[in-house]
Amino acid sequence: MLDVSGLTLSYGAEPVLEGADLRVDAGQFVSLVGPSGSGKSSLLRAIIGLQRPNAGTVTCDLGRGDLGILFQDDALLPWRTALENVALGLRIRGKPRPRAHDEAEAWLGRLGLTGFGERFPRALSGGQRKRVALAQVLALRPRLLLMDEPFAALDAIVRHRITQDLLDLVEGERISVLLVTHDLEEALVLSDIVYLLGQGPRARIRQRYAVPISRPRDIMKARTNPSFAPLLERLWQDLSAEVDLIRRVA
Amino acid sequence: MNTATTRLAARRLIVLGILLSLWEVLARFGLLNPFYVPPPSKVAATLFALFADGEIWTHIEATFGAALLGLTLGVIVGAILGVAAALLPLVGEILDPTMTVLNAVPRIILAPLFVIWFGIGIASKVAVTFVLIAVLFFFAVYAGIKEVDQRLVERVKTLGGGRAVLLREVYLPAVTAWALSNLKIAVGFAFTGAVVGEFVASSRGLGYLLSFAQSTYNASLTLALLLLIMVFVFVLFALAGRVENRLLRWR
Repeated sequence: MLDVSGLTLSYGAEPVLEGADLRVDAGQFVSLVGPSGSGKSSLLRAIIGLQRPNAGTVTCDLGRGDLGILFQDDALLPWRTALENVALGLRIRGKPRPRAHDEAEAWLGRLGLTGFGERFPRALSGGQRKRVALAQVLALRPRLLLMDEPFAALDAIVRHRITQDLLDLVEGERISVLLVTHDLEEALVLSDIVYLLGQGPRARIRQRYAVPISRPRDIMKARTNPSFAPLLERLWQDLSAEVDLIRRVA
Repeated sequence: MNTATTRLAARRLIVLGILLSLWEVLARFGLLNPFYVPPPSKVAATLFALFADGEIWTHIEATFGAALLGLTLGVIVGAILGVAAALLPLVGEILDPTMTVLNAVPRIILAPLFVIWFGIGIASKVAVTFVLIAVLFFFAVYAGIKEVDQRLVERVKTLGGGRAVLLREVYLPAVTAWALSNLKIAVGFAFTGAVVGEFVASSRGLGYLLSFAQSTYNASLTLALLLLIMVFVFVLFALAGRVENRLLRWR
């Protein structure tokens, strides 16, 4: 579905990211973790086409319309209601207003925001705004969802709930996901595959871990799965080793 | 209206009443020279007389006409130039420094020049008002476009929106917000421009009457006119405020 091969990205002379290989197959939830400055976000931006790779290829058998994108700081239009914000993408795709609004209403409902449609973003909480943004993306029925720390700014409980809802929806709709995060536990709990990116500059993909926890998952219960703790420990040690390696060099 | 705001309004009215009564009493008993500070009752009588003989209307019409015409033209031209400067780099390069200079000088000093150029009729007053407001609106729109939240632009792009969608969904609302927040200032500018234009040279208008009142040392007429102009500006402020609240209810 998505195949990244030998991807090198640089802003200045020195590459941030070098020779990265990564795959997302249909229906897979894949996470990309790594220390700050490892080029995780840049990799995502390159996939979307917001950044030109210096070498390597991104192959994707999907059309642009099949990609759903959710970033940490992406904003809703403040002058549009929640409903209008969700309907925006549908209307851009040419759906007539009444139909777009009906569908948007249904998606708000699926994200637990029934009755909030007429509110302006200003009158919503951070979690609710994130749900609206999620509804906006999911309403377009993406086949691959690309996310960069989407819930990082939310407090723990809100974050837990919205993450579980997101997981239920992507499992139900069989949407493939590529999630960029620095939260190792979150990555393991959600993903089928976790990629570990090394310390930048010249960061490389260091490891690929398969997470053998069955679906559908409950994000609390997934933590008690016997494979969770050992995997987390391995991931943690590998990541620490990466960071330490660079510290010694520096 | 809740009781707290009603009480606040009541307290303010009482204070105003006390001050006016004090003024009245001091003026009546000669502690304030009524030649300079006529009592409120005399000012009210003058105001009443102005309306009673009906001649005031031609002056109100002249000032309002100049203020509103200058306001309208200034908003339109300022907005068009602002859009052009933000979208066309060449226009921006020329207009940005020009407008910055015009913004730095008190543009009201152009009034005598405009009288020489456009005569003592309404045209010179419209010109003063226009130049005050066009520069204000130029910056409102120019900044509005340049400082549009890039996250919103990127968001609409990732949802598949092209230039037309960006313009309609992002740029236009953002600019409207900036422009509307400047509307109240613009209303004040409009009257400043018209009245000062009339001070300089005119045969009609509230500024003309004011200048006449001043040259004849008629303090009660001067105060009555000041009061009248203030009332007009307050009414227009309130209207602009309503438009702002209505269109910017998302804030």
